[in-house]
Amino acid sequence: MARKKTNGPEISTAVSPEDSASASPPSPDRPLGPLSLPPLPPTHDIVKVNTMNAVELKNACNDALKRYLSRPGLFKQSYQHTDVRLALGWLSVFVAGGTGLYGYKVEFEQSKPVVWVGLILYMLLTFTQTLYAYFIEGDIVFVGKRKTFSKRIITERITLTSRTCPVSFPPKSATVSKPTDKSIPPQYALALSYVRSTSANKSLLAKGKTQAVAPYSQFFDADGKMDVAVFERWVGELVEEGMDGKDK
Amino acid sequence: MFSRELKALRRLDPRQFLLQALNYAGGMATTLMFWHALCLATNCESPVVVVLSGSMEPAFYRGDLIFLTNPASERYHIGDITVYKVPSQDIPIVHRVLETHDFFDSGVDQQLLLTKGDNNPVDDTQLYGGLEYLERKHIVGKVRGFLPYIGYVTIAMNDFPRLKYALLGGLGLLGLLQRE
Repeated sequence: MARKKTNGPEISTAVSPEDSASASPPSPDRPLGPLSLPPLPPTHDIVKVNTMNAVELKNACNDALKRYLSRPGLFKQSYQHTDVRLALGWLSVFVAGGTGLYGYKVEFEQSKPVVWVGLILYMLLTFTQTLYAYFIEGDIVFVGKRKTFSKRIITERITLTSRTCPVSFPPKSATVSKPTDKSIPPQYALALSYVRSTSANKSLLAKGKTQAVAPYSQFFDADGKMDVAVFERWVGELVEEGMDGKDK
Repeated sequence: MFSRELKALRRLDPRQFLLQALNYAGGMATTLMFWHALCLATNCESPVVVVLSGSMEPAFYRGDLIFLTNPASERYHIGDITVYKVPSQDIPIVHRVLETHDFFDSGVDQQLLLTKGDNNPVDDTQLYGGLEYLERKHIVGKVRGFLPYIGYVTIAMNDFPRLKYALLGGLGLLGLLQRE
């Protein structure tokens, strides 16, 4: 379905790539999506988790996601959120350590003003950390950028958030309650937002927001071994949908 | 035996390692800051102490945990149980106030106190290291409440230092390997 741009007077007046904001045929400017890259041989040990622990399941999926999307040829991970959290966290640890050391060395009555200062500083840092994590970072798992060159520099930015949907039960109907109504196992909900623009964000080429939910049982077997290929294909499909500019 | 845990450690990249080390260090920092906040709130250098001797039986036994406060404007009365530290000694002593002498010294309320352990035959004058009475500044705080037996953990860790290191080491390993 790729349109050729080498025609002369026969160029159609249909929608050009720059206008695409929602679902449109893939433009020749569209960089390669993750599914078009050949699957790499597994460079990582087999992932094995405790299937009863939803936190471990989510962390395993998040890790696999990060490894998949940051491989050469795909996005470059931006560590801004992690670095801010590390900086604030370790700074507060050092403030606490310094205050503790000072309180230990100096006699109590004399040390009170400095300990007050240290305590207030620590509380401020912790408060800032909490605010940042809650409002700015939120559920974000991966932020990536990619620059490709095809006639001009194209910058892509992708942000993925994930969360676990806990075990839920289908709503009981008032009249009939079937014995086959089973509970839905914990699910992995992945949402992504994608932006493609020309260099320095001068003009928007494509924008997409998609999400998908899949039960963990789709990626993990009963022993807890993760089927990374299936997971990567699922993620790849979602990313390609986003790159095509769909809005879900 | 620890092969799975060792594999998990090897898989960590520097950022991941720093994040998990932060979990552990952050927990310790929080505990430390809580302690300092408690010290400042109670105006007491050691708001929680363990009873080491039996000189206050039957009120407090060895191994009890006691909670202190030391409001700056407070005057102590006969019958209060106080913890004090004589300058020549390191160990704080928990005894009851027997006598108080209040006076005004250059604009500040001052007190001289005499204490005695409930289970002791004589008062504490011998323990004061030359002083006849305790001054207000020697008092660490007044007992507000207690918990029986809990203090034995601290006594055990002081008598067997290896237990302390084992506990800290175990917690450290757990903090590094688990992820929240």
